[in-house]
Amino acid sequence: MSFFLQAILLGLSLSCLSLGIFISMKIFNIPDITADGSYTLGAVITGLGLVKGWPIGWVMGLAFLCSALAGSLTGFIGTQLKVNPLLSGILVSYGLYSVNLSLLGKSNIALIQVRNIFAIFVKNGESTQSQTWVLVCFVSLVAFLVILLLKTDFGIAMRATGNSETMVRSMGVNTNRMKIMGLALANGLVGLSGFLVAQYQGYVDVNMGIGIVITGLGSVGLADAFLNFFPIPKVALRVLGVVLGTLIFQSLLGVAISLGIDPNFLKLITAGLVLLVVIIPLIKFTK
Amino acid sequence: MAKLFYLSLVFLFILQSCTYSHSGSAIPKIGFLDAFQDETISEAKRGFLDALSEQGFDEKNKTLELVYKNAQGSIPTLNQEVSYLLNQDLRIIATNTTLSTISTAQRTHTLPIFMMVSPSPEKAGLLDKQGKAPVNLFGVYETTAYIDTSIMLLKEILPSVKTLGAIYSQGEPQSADAFKHLKDQSEALGIRLVALPVNNSSETQLVVQNLLSRHVDAFFALPDNSVFASFETLLKSCNAAKVPIFTSEEGLVKRGALAAFGADIYAWGHQSGMMAARYLKTGSTQGLQPEIVRLRKKVYNKEVASLFKIQIPGGIIPVK
Repeated sequence: MSFFLQAILLGLSLSCLSLGIFISMKIFNIPDITADGSYTLGAVITGLGLVKGWPIGWVMGLAFLCSALAGSLTGFIGTQLKVNPLLSGILVSYGLYSVNLSLLGKSNIALIQVRNIFAIFVKNGESTQSQTWVLVCFVSLVAFLVILLLKTDFGIAMRATGNSETMVRSMGVNTNRMKIMGLALANGLVGLSGFLVAQYQGYVDVNMGIGIVITGLGSVGLADAFLNFFPIPKVALRVLGVVLGTLIFQSLLGVAISLGIDPNFLKLITAGLVLLVVIIPLIKFTK
Repeated sequence: MAKLFYLSLVFLFILQSCTYSHSGSAIPKIGFLDAFQDETISEAKRGFLDALSEQGFDEKNKTLELVYKNAQGSIPTLNQEVSYLLNQDLRIIATNTTLSTISTAQRTHTLPIFMMVSPSPEKAGLLDKQGKAPVNLFGVYETTAYIDTSIMLLKEILPSVKTLGAIYSQGEPQSADAFKHLKDQSEALGIRLVALPVNNSSETQLVVQNLLSRHVDAFFALPDNSVFASFETLLKSCNAAKVPIFTSEEGLVKRGALAAFGADIYAWGHQSGMMAARYLKTGSTQGLQPEIVRLRKKVYNKEVASLFKIQIPGGIIPVK
């Protein structure tokens, strides 16, 4: 049971990442893979801040802001320099690898004897209980804020930009600015995941973001499968669905690990499990 | 209703698969964690299990229960596998390579960890503010001292070397450290070092070609994950340019490097396995502490030596 909880905790830490991917992918229809770099950037800032003993709130804000800056850079390259959005994401995440490495000074730092976010309510931040509480509160708050934001006029303009750019532009909205801000927000959220995971695993590694965008995309895809149950899902439901999708994705990985199969087949089994969960509802609906 | 049924089915499935009952058997149950899949690195696992088997702990004889996990190169997976292993009622956990060791040491402070193919706790950044290593960390580590011996071997076999080419991985702590050491050592010996970093194994080809165009007399392959993964690429380019490769790991000599003076990954795992067996027998960590790798060998590859027409001095053993 405790292992299952740990999978959920990791899922909670990663759900900010999925929310970020959700915003770029589903709201804006931009295939943004800056996440590979901005996730690590968030973790790197966290590692440096905690080792230097900065207050946790500052570290969190800084992680968010730096990752958001990376996202806005992708947006700028994509909209102002007219570079293909996929390529601009690749370029920024490529460049961020060097930035992360030079910020970190070496490829891996362990966070030893630092006061982390899990120790915010209690003295001992290592107990599963305090980790659970902190993560549940943190993710609920972030999800709540994202829902709130998507419901404002600004949020509606954001969603409209993804749906029908020409229409939104004809209404006098600067869609390029919308996209830049949207990608900044998305990557800021991704950075928050880096912030959480770094503290959960207790170290920062310069390679930790490689391929992480797949984790986010998988979770968002899983969420989509569940939202098939609802004809036109409300935005709050979609956001919560993404969080739930992340938890299920990590749990399925956990299931694959606990099946005790040949490790060579781990990824195949995970893929199979996710596919299974995604197609079962579809089969029911086509009947 | 169907929706509810489906959702609860998914959750039940997850719950069911994740709740494991602990068996109260007397057979020691151990965990082994690999961060990624690699031919050479997996030799350490073989050595570790062989050592346990020699000491009477063998899966085949039902005197050992092994839970083996490999993260296949993904850090989120690695984290989950650490969680999984820590919930398995293990007696010990064995960690192969740096990332497995750090991930595990950061998550448990009670379960004994036997590391291998990892740097010293100091290099891994695992010392606390009082300069102490984690109390539950044991096993075998290596310092960058192996670079000295490897360079000496290079001088011994090819005294005329003036320019040495090398690649290293910025993304791996032990590789970057070893590279710094290599730089100091070659400078001290008057060898010019031309080196470039690689970020992943797909870049090896390009980087090696660039280095070879700068007229290097020999190539030094720092034994890191990128080199392990793309050694054949490196080998092909170097052979075409008639540049012999030196390294500090026996497995790479088997794969076509000319010579090495360094730890043998199998023996490294074996040493850690002996230590683990001692703990399993006595149940006490008294007198155990992380120790430096003991067996270093001078080895060369016969076929490669005859290919390059290089006379190998005595005292260096050919590998099979």
